Amino acid sequence: MLTKLAGGRLFDPANGRYGEAADLWLHDDRIAADPGPGATPDAVHDVTGKVVMAGAIDIHSHIAGGKVNLARLLMGEEHERHRFAGHACGNDRVGSDRIGGGSGIATPSTHSTGARYIEMGFTAAFEPAMLGSNARHAHLEMSDIPYIDTGGYLVLGNDDFLLDLIASNAGQAAVNDYVAWMLTATQSLAVKVVNPGGINAFKFNARSLDLDEAGPYYGVTPRTVLTVLARAVYELGLPHPLHVHGCNLGVPGNVATTLDTIQAASGLPMHMTHIQFHSYDTAGDRKFSSGAAALAEAVNRTPTLSVDIGQVMFGQTVTASADTMAQRHTAPLAHPRKWLAMDIECDAGCGVVPFRYRDNSYVNALQWAIGLELFLLLDDPWRVFLTTDHPNGAPFTFYPELIRLLMDRDYRLAKLAEIHPDAPAHTTLGSIAREYTLAEIAIMTRAAPARILGLTDRGHLAPGASADVTVYSDLADRRAMFERPDLVFKSGRLVVRDGTLVATAQGCTHVVRPGFDELIERRIARHFDERIGLPIKHFRIQDAEIRHGAGPQLHPCQRREVP
Amino acid sequence: MTFHRDTLCPFCGLGCGDIGIDLDPSGIAARPSGCPQADRLFQRSMAVPTDARLGGAAIPMDDAIAEAVRLLESSRAPLIAGLAADVEGVLTALSLAERIGATVDHERSEGLFRNLAVLRRFGWSVTTLAELRNRCDLVLVVGPDPAQGFPRLWERWVVPEPAFVAGNGRSVVFLGGEPLPETVRWLGARIETSGLDTDTQTDLATLVGRLRTALAGRLAADDPMAALAARLRSARYAVVVWAAGLFDGPQPDLIVEGLVRLIRTVDGITRCAGLPLSGADNLVGANQACSWRTGFPLRTGFDGGGPLHDPDRFDWHRRLRDADVTLWISAFRPETPALATGGSVIMLAPPETIVAPEPALFIPVGTPGIDHPGDVFRADNVVALHAGALIDRGLPSVAEVIGRILAALSQNAKTREAAGC
Repeated sequence: MLTKLAGGRLFDPANGRYGEAADLWLHDDRIAADPGPGATPDAVHDVTGKVVMAGAIDIHSHIAGGKVNLARLLMGEEHERHRFAGHACGNDRVGSDRIGGGSGIATPSTHSTGARYIEMGFTAAFEPAMLGSNARHAHLEMSDIPYIDTGGYLVLGNDDFLLDLIASNAGQAAVNDYVAWMLTATQSLAVKVVNPGGINAFKFNARSLDLDEAGPYYGVTPRTVLTVLARAVYELGLPHPLHVHGCNLGVPGNVATTLDTIQAASGLPMHMTHIQFHSYDTAGDRKFSSGAAALAEAVNRTPTLSVDIGQVMFGQTVTASADTMAQRHTAPLAHPRKWLAMDIECDAGCGVVPFRYRDNSYVNALQWAIGLELFLLLDDPWRVFLTTDHPNGAPFTFYPELIRLLMDRDYRLAKLAEIHPDAPAHTTLGSIAREYTLAEIAIMTRAAPARILGLTDRGHLAPGASADVTVYSDLADRRAMFERPDLVFKSGRLVVRDGTLVATAQGCTHVVRPGFDELIERRIARHFDERIGLPIKHFRIQDAEIRHGAGPQLHPCQRREVP
Repeated sequence: MTFHRDTLCPFCGLGCGDIGIDLDPSGIAARPSGCPQADRLFQRSMAVPTDARLGGAAIPMDDAIAEAVRLLESSRAPLIAGLAADVEGVLTALSLAERIGATVDHERSEGLFRNLAVLRRFGWSVTTLAELRNRCDLVLVVGPDPAQGFPRLWERWVVPEPAFVAGNGRSVVFLGGEPLPETVRWLGARIETSGLDTDTQTDLATLVGRLRTALAGRLAADDPMAALAARLRSARYAVVVWAAGLFDGPQPDLIVEGLVRLIRTVDGITRCAGLPLSGADNLVGANQACSWRTGFPLRTGFDGGGPLHDPDRFDWHRRLRDADVTLWISAFRPETPALATGGSVIMLAPPETIVAPEPALFIPVGTPGIDHPGDVFRADNVVALHAGALIDRGLPSVAEVIGRILAALSQNAKTREAAGC
């Protein structure tokens, strides 16, 4: 199948194209070079004057796994209010020819998740908190999400095995082998650390744990966990740096901890996630103010650092996190008033707290402003990513509105005038003139996410790349533009036309597989026998289990040494 | 004879991965595992009839699929229940339910819904089996001994020495239920007497209420319940275990809610978490798959607007009465409950199943973890396990059978479209 997209304006920052008019060719599931005169495309779409980008990539969105599924059950009222009938379109795989049916906004069901993403022109989204003990579940769920590519970031840093390795001075090489073994066994793409050591400490009844505080039982500090893992990820040569959900999430004054955390990395690459929730200062009568300026300054001058924001948008959502310690502090604010918490398998935990962000709440209004402030004060769009930490700051379906806030200063100021009247005084948002350009949006949502995850054939439009393409009308109302693309192609197939699903498609699951010294397996096997109560072979996820036998897509790792 | 060590057991929901299976030309059998369920259900013969049956008479598989399609297409009020299948089987059943507008429920969902009712209106504070095994110094068992349904619970998750408990190991207290003789044998001196009336006839709701009153400090200090409350407060990591399916009496979900509230109180002082157990025959996997596919737990149906959940109306016991066609799925064990329905029954079950009365249509299927690989969830909701295949008796999986039904339904729809009717 040869498809020609004729006359569009290509925004393809990875290949240095910023809006020039050019034809784009898709051959089967890949972008192709112009086949030259005489080629007879099977389909031609005239996209003259329209904006053409690669499919968007969401690097941090809680879309699958135990906590998401529990959140769906807790959010029953929302699911009853938002039910979707399936579309009959195509029949690729027996049983999945009705697509997009389900329910929910903040915690959409699998088919609805895939449908909402592809309708906005997103062709990949990554589950950023996959517990090893829950990995098989997460993969089962991800393979039931149509249209988009997925992958999971393995949560480490609160597992008793790793803390024991560190406490017993097993050495960095043993840690590296363990990390590599776990990534392989759980079919993961990256490593995430959540409140390093804190979730484990909470199991011993510690209710807080600072960066340099020794945790109970192991006596290991969060700083040590963080640096050991950052080094393991670096030395194993994973494409994605350690994905860090830091200490003290949501606590006023936590910007100091966040700045310390940047120092702790001491030059090792690190991705700090949902930094909006980690950017709070304590100025003013309410002892809650923006620390965005200081944090943005630190990120701007640290080239080894990348961040995503975790923007808050107003309305009902639910917070779902492995950070049981933080979630226990949030629980009294639950709206509706119900929440759940789990300790999980000597591995980590999960806490789910429904939440309604209100623009007339001083704190929520400031959270909203802090997120935007960060977006606008961070200079390098290659190191900042568009996220709402779905669903924790807002459902991912708010991205078009968020893009408009970033691209349209007048609109932003009008919104700033609507929030709690005391909030603007405690942020610099009102004084920031910057408007994101289409090129910057293309970097932040396509080229940069692919690069930071090591997905070499995604996020750009050069020949050989996956034919994941989105075509937008260049509307002045950027929200309307990004809400409803004209055309979306997934792996070369036209799946969305004028915002409506017209065919089915399935994405793939991305993984890394750094090698390890097999000696570590003996120690891990003993841990499984003696502690976890499960022979190790039942823990390991085989390739045949991924996407109904299709198997994962592997990305290479390049081992390196810390200079 | 071949021996398969460390075979995964998919039956009760504890997910034991250490079953030894002997395989010879006549079939398979488990080496005595200490679990009556595993020992019985792993006993499968190679010599089984693999024919489908229509009204009791053997028919070719193609005809059986066609007959299932005919029945389901003409149904005005279909029910898909039993739903005892691996995750893939459940997902395929959900696709079928969406297609024909059926409601779905699992045979053993009663206990699960007692817990879910509380989760959905109030929340949960729970833990998992490995946390119980390694971190827990005090187990409070509420109601009848869960070992009735989970035979190796104590042996595998409480008898091993906890890794993170210093000193005297752990204690187990039974409240409102007696330990089974097997349990006493396993736990021995770990069982601590509470000094309370543990007669199984005692009203559980009252007992739980009194324990909460004691935790609030409103009972006399010499009341044995006050002593139990003090015991919970002084534990490092207490785990409250219950199997809601075994609760008697009206409104058992209120007992569960009392327990969750009690756990929250203790968890504010020291660490405390619940372990609600329900989950034989991949009940938890069926509920997980239904939740991710539809956004709702089991007992969900489909109307023109999408999935619709009703924990009362869509209980299979009730739906069975008005369903004109019931697709009953029972892949794990060769036994089914009596199905009191005036409608037709299509049954997908292992060939050894003795069914009376004979259903309208019987299609033999394999068992996940015996005849084909499949994913099942453990009863603690977190761990999914991949059970492998042991023998090939030429039996299709539930997913394969329903997949063929779905494909035939699509084909019929296309034919009708082409004919313009």
